[in-house]
Amino acid sequence: MESQFLLAKAKDEEIATKGECGGAVSALFKYLLDQDLVDGVLTLTRGEDIYDGIPILVEDSKDIISTCGSLHCAPTMFGDLISKYLTDMRLAVSVKPCDAMAINELIKRHQINEDNLYKIGLNCGGAVMPISAQKMIEMFYDVDPSEVVKEEIDKGKFIIELEDGTHKSVEIDELEEKGFGRRINCQRCELKIPRNADLACGNWGAEPGWTFIEVVTEKGAKLLNDAKKGGYIEVKTPSQKAITIRGKIENAMIKLAQKYQEKYLEENYPDIENWDEYWNRCIKCYACRDACSLCFCKECDLEKEFYNDEDAIVPDPLTFQGVRMSHVCFSCVNCGQCEDVCPMEIPLAHIFHRMQKKYRDKTGFIAGVSEELPPLYSPEKE
Amino acid sequence: MMKVAHTICPSCSIGCGVNLIIKDNEAVGTYPYKSHPINEGKTCKKGRDCFKIVTENRLKEPLIRRNGLNQSSWEDALDTIASQMKSYPSQEIGIVVSGDYTNQEYETMKRFAEAIGVGNIGCHTGSVPSEALETATLYDMENSDFILIIGDVLKEYPLLGRRIILAKENGAEICTVDTPDKTLTGINSHRYLQVESASTIIDEINHNILKKLNPNSTVIINNLKSEKDFEKILNFFGQSGAKMFPVFQDCNSRGAMNILPVLSEDDLRDLMEKVKILYVIGDDLASYMEESLKKLDFIISQGCLVNETTLISDVVLPGSCWAEKTGSFTSTTGKMQNISKITEPPGDALDDQIIITKIAEKMGWEPEKLGLDPEKTGPDSKR
Repeated sequence: MESQFLLAKAKDEEIATKGECGGAVSALFKYLLDQDLVDGVLTLTRGEDIYDGIPILVEDSKDIISTCGSLHCAPTMFGDLISKYLTDMRLAVSVKPCDAMAINELIKRHQINEDNLYKIGLNCGGAVMPISAQKMIEMFYDVDPSEVVKEEIDKGKFIIELEDGTHKSVEIDELEEKGFGRRINCQRCELKIPRNADLACGNWGAEPGWTFIEVVTEKGAKLLNDAKKGGYIEVKTPSQKAITIRGKIENAMIKLAQKYQEKYLEENYPDIENWDEYWNRCIKCYACRDACSLCFCKECDLEKEFYNDEDAIVPDPLTFQGVRMSHVCFSCVNCGQCEDVCPMEIPLAHIFHRMQKKYRDKTGFIAGVSEELPPLYSPEKE
Repeated sequence: MMKVAHTICPSCSIGCGVNLIIKDNEAVGTYPYKSHPINEGKTCKKGRDCFKIVTENRLKEPLIRRNGLNQSSWEDALDTIASQMKSYPSQEIGIVVSGDYTNQEYETMKRFAEAIGVGNIGCHTGSVPSEALETATLYDMENSDFILIIGDVLKEYPLLGRRIILAKENGAEICTVDTPDKTLTGINSHRYLQVESASTIIDEINHNILKKLNPNSTVIINNLKSEKDFEKILNFFGQSGAKMFPVFQDCNSRGAMNILPVLSEDDLRDLMEKVKILYVIGDDLASYMEESLKKLDFIISQGCLVNETTLISDVVLPGSCWAEKTGSFTSTTGKMQNISKITEPPGDALDDQIIITKIAEKMGWEPEKLGLDPEKTGPDSKR
């Protein structure tokens, strides 16, 4: 269908106030649950503090209120959470672009049934690692991180709000130059508006108190229409100016991502000696594999006898990371989960992302976005 | 129904945060807990697999030995224990505990032992001597100029290993001492010194290494079989002013040592010589001390898993695993971290403090007098 732009907000006052940008996303979730169009909503809730985003499955629409508001310090991944544990449910899920990319690759591989899923996309400029966020707030804002009640990212700044209502902000560029700010994967990510979901929602170009929504699929369009008819949201058309502003923000962020790709995947890319040092630390704990949404095989080749090298102090990188790379790097969505969970701090996503980029340049296949499977994909394991 | 809940990994003493995934009241997996300060969402394989402890190999009913081990009721099991315990003088009763119970449970065990007059109680939890309580933090370690490591820490405690890697990336010099030709920690160190045995480290360590030890350095000590060696090494390196980082064995070894007497293997053997009836909580004594157990008249074992000790016990009490209780663990660096109950124990298994309280009651003690929480045994407690 033709892309379509809308501004929307929740009609329910509590959701409109507590939700981000007028609570349109929360209102859509409430609608889907109330109308029994889904069995559950998979989204994030705030845990102990603003640095603690926990996946939550909401089955009663009364509980949607607990998931209102955005959390930028929660680099979570929903792809494998759905394919491993929730395939028996009709779901609505809030997706960052990387979640949507992983989910799409899993749908193509028949690990998730698209018919059972509403993907409500959230525009994403990137997430901040929670511990790094706390260090950063201490160092650059001179604030005790536990005193921060809210954080947001706006106009290139990471902004914190304290209990007394005061705001403090620092340019993200400055933070990132010093090794803080967004996760390195997020810095390199070019997909800021999830046009691989049913709807792409966010604040770019939106008026205060409204969510800017790009309608991507028929399913998304129907959902918006029905929720409006049902009295859950109100909508209006954004001005041409708003659409232009949003486009400019997106383009600027994509350009920045490309600059960071150049920086991390070419200029500062680890050389072969660095990689030798990194592989030398591997404890073969399989954390990278287990965190990878795309590594979905029930029987993993890496555990087969012919790759068994238990006597070796470190696994042969060719028959461990090399095999994994040969299986999934074409489809790497640069979500960075492998690198996040590696106990030995091996910069795995750098090599996987770099390989996917090269593959993309040669074949045109964009992992998580292209509708087809990667060329040469083998369905043997499905 | 699915929920993702915070907990602390029970697999070792580092104290990593883990999220348990509970689907339809059953632990089915783990999910990275990235806001946890110790491990930031990273875990080793044991940490990622810790959900299996909740479901695999669980004890679900009390057992009594009558022509072999047979299922019994709680009433019958508790009556049997009470009458056995009453039939021996208290100096012939022993209590041995493992290092993976909560601080609150250790307090309860201590009060129970005091009430029934049992002095032969203790915790066998590795070889760290009990006075080794002034220790370095992870932060100290990561900011050290020089780290001396005894043992293969990267392999055995990967999330402590990670801090060593970060310290190295920060410019720290890393030196490892161990007995094999080659270890993972060794190949990731600037220098590797192979020694004959743990007891000869002090004799074999060279002057150049000792020169580098000062208050900006850390000595990590892991995997020493004997407490005497541990003590010797701690004292020797401690003189240099370097920060000491002994690696405790279990998830709450350090907490146990703060509350209960510590038993070395020799102490354990002595204890079992003295007593006739032994109440084993958690520890799989039969896996390393079967001979000593054979001399006992009566063995009561309490725990969440079926192990070798279960099989030779006279009464077996099914307890709870860490995910089924609320309390705290003290990590290897002395950091106390709370855990909350996430799931219910399976079958007829009960909370361990409830079990202890019930035994005390059967022996004629009122729970309040033991300082035990009567609510734990009230009608609202499970079953």
